[in-house]
Amino acid sequence: MAEMLTKKNLTIKIFVCLLVLILVMALCALAGSQDISLKKVFAGQGEFAGDNIDYEILIGIRLPRVILAALVGAALACSGVVLQAILRNPLADPYILGISSGAALGVITAILSGITWSFWAGSPIAVFAFAGATLTVWLVWFIGRFSGKSRVTSLLLAGVVINSFFSAVIMFLTSIAKSSQVHSTIYWLMGNITEKEPLVLLISGVCILFGIIVLFGICNKLNVLTFGEDEAKGLGVETVKIRLIAFGFAAFITAIAVSLSGLIGFVGLIIPHAVRLVLGPDHRQLLPISAITGAAFLVAADTIARIIVAPAQLPVGVITAIAGGPFFLVLLAKYSRKVGWLK
Amino acid sequence: MKNIIEVKNLNFGYAKANPILKDVSFEVAAGKFIAVAGPNGAGKTTLLNLLCGLLRKKTGTIKIDSENIESYSVKKLAQKIAVVRQEFVPVFDFSVIEMVSTARTPYLGAFGFESKGDKKIIADALEATDTVRFATRALIELSGGERQRVFIARALAQNTDILLLDEPTSFLDLKHQVGIYDLLKKMQLEKGKTIIAVTHDINLAAQYCDKVLLVGADGSYQYGTTKEVFSWQQIKKTFGINVFTSNVGKENFFLPIGKFAKDSNIKTAEPHNPLSSTKL
Repeated sequence: MAEMLTKKNLTIKIFVCLLVLILVMALCALAGSQDISLKKVFAGQGEFAGDNIDYEILIGIRLPRVILAALVGAALACSGVVLQAILRNPLADPYILGISSGAALGVITAILSGITWSFWAGSPIAVFAFAGATLTVWLVWFIGRFSGKSRVTSLLLAGVVINSFFSAVIMFLTSIAKSSQVHSTIYWLMGNITEKEPLVLLISGVCILFGIIVLFGICNKLNVLTFGEDEAKGLGVETVKIRLIAFGFAAFITAIAVSLSGLIGFVGLIIPHAVRLVLGPDHRQLLPISAITGAAFLVAADTIARIIVAPAQLPVGVITAIAGGPFFLVLLAKYSRKVGWLK
Repeated sequence: MKNIIEVKNLNFGYAKANPILKDVSFEVAAGKFIAVAGPNGAGKTTLLNLLCGLLRKKTGTIKIDSENIESYSVKKLAQKIAVVRQEFVPVFDFSVIEMVSTARTPYLGAFGFESKGDKKIIADALEATDTVRFATRALIELSGGERQRVFIARALAQNTDILLLDEPTSFLDLKHQVGIYDLLKKMQLEKGKTIIAVTHDINLAAQYCDKVLLVGADGSYQYGTTKEVFSWQQIKKTFGINVFTSNVGKENFFLPIGKFAKDSNIKTAEPHNPLSSTKL
């Protein structure tokens, strides 16, 4: 009989992918305009600040940035997988339900109000982005609940309506803002991975990993949810409960990612598709492998953004779009013959 | 034999002013093959959705294995009843074996994977429906008949006592229609499944089913053996058409004849129908 997915098989795949991710992270941490000597790094920090520049660059600057890129990549790819499943829409990405405009509204509000306090080592921009994203998602879910029987369609419509409304508000606020404030907003909207405090990394990392583990737990139900409401119920899935968990946690990890790095496009859309093209649509392997692939992809993209025009840096969103598009097309050309929904 | 489904005074309508099912009562003995026939909009699929718990009845009772349907959780009900709906194509590219494997979802918890026992059940279902040979192919590459066999395989792998099917042979050619009914009959006889199939094909229903529930567009219904329910008078009344009828052997055969059909001048719905005693 044909091969079925087994726990052992999946564990091996995850292990191999994690090894590749660690390798990519290590190589990317070593790459940069300043050459790093590993020998010097292993010698330790030294007695005074500035004693060991190589150590400070690698451990203090590049490594946190690489970890941040990995966390954001994993969160966006997972969120893309889950939203494509529950919305039964291959075009869905983590921003489809208004998270982007909600976060952007939060950011422009923070910039215009000139607030300078910080919260758990997070800047006001990050905190406002997180709040804007989560409030918008709640609003979309709330409107989607009472606006129709077909929850999926009404959620999508609610997302579109709120996106347009918030875009109008953002345009209004931009038109009354000072040029420096507008610049800060646009720079954030383009998506940037910049160094973060270790505490921010730790809290975000724990939250994102927790979200991914919860979503992994419902993956066999997500398989069935892609067949539609009636089919899923017929196969014993409590559709409202599972959709709420999926939606809630996907939105949660996306909001964290957005608050850390702004709007980084493409990762949440193409990574799930790329993994699905190669490994098939079973979410029990699609979700964890997408998380790891998304992490590796964003780490690599951020490294390119960091070194390609060094000492200047490009927004990572530019690289994800430029590198991601052709990469996806190559996969598409290679696998499209065996994939039904592309025909 | 014990009744596995008991429906008493069932009433249902999507709008209050427009009831679809009025006071419907019937019982299904375990291991029987029942057809639900009737004109479009008479409530056949609605009845199926009520029986599998997808819709909630307005009044009356539905008992599955002597317990009220409301007492079942979604998961427990999916372990009791499997449903094959009218053909659907999944959004993502599931292979045959991946599709059939999803039948084990009601038996898996969080982080669940199929056990050895689950795999054996899946393999048996593929074997019984003759779908092993295309188990690794994508569902979308299969013909309508092959795809329908896959959905029946999935229903089998769900390992339930009851199988509900909504027009399992629509869109299929004659060979595949007969193939699906043969397969269902085999499931009934060999595995003791109770089968309820909504169908528009009263001739196949007469040949394969033990009993039939004929529902009319006005909310009326007839329930009995195929011989009792399928008469030219009843079919004329329910569907509003004339039919030729003839006795094939154990069962009657019905041929609907419209106003502009070549043989429309023949008095079809009469007891002295010229074909009524002719063996075809």
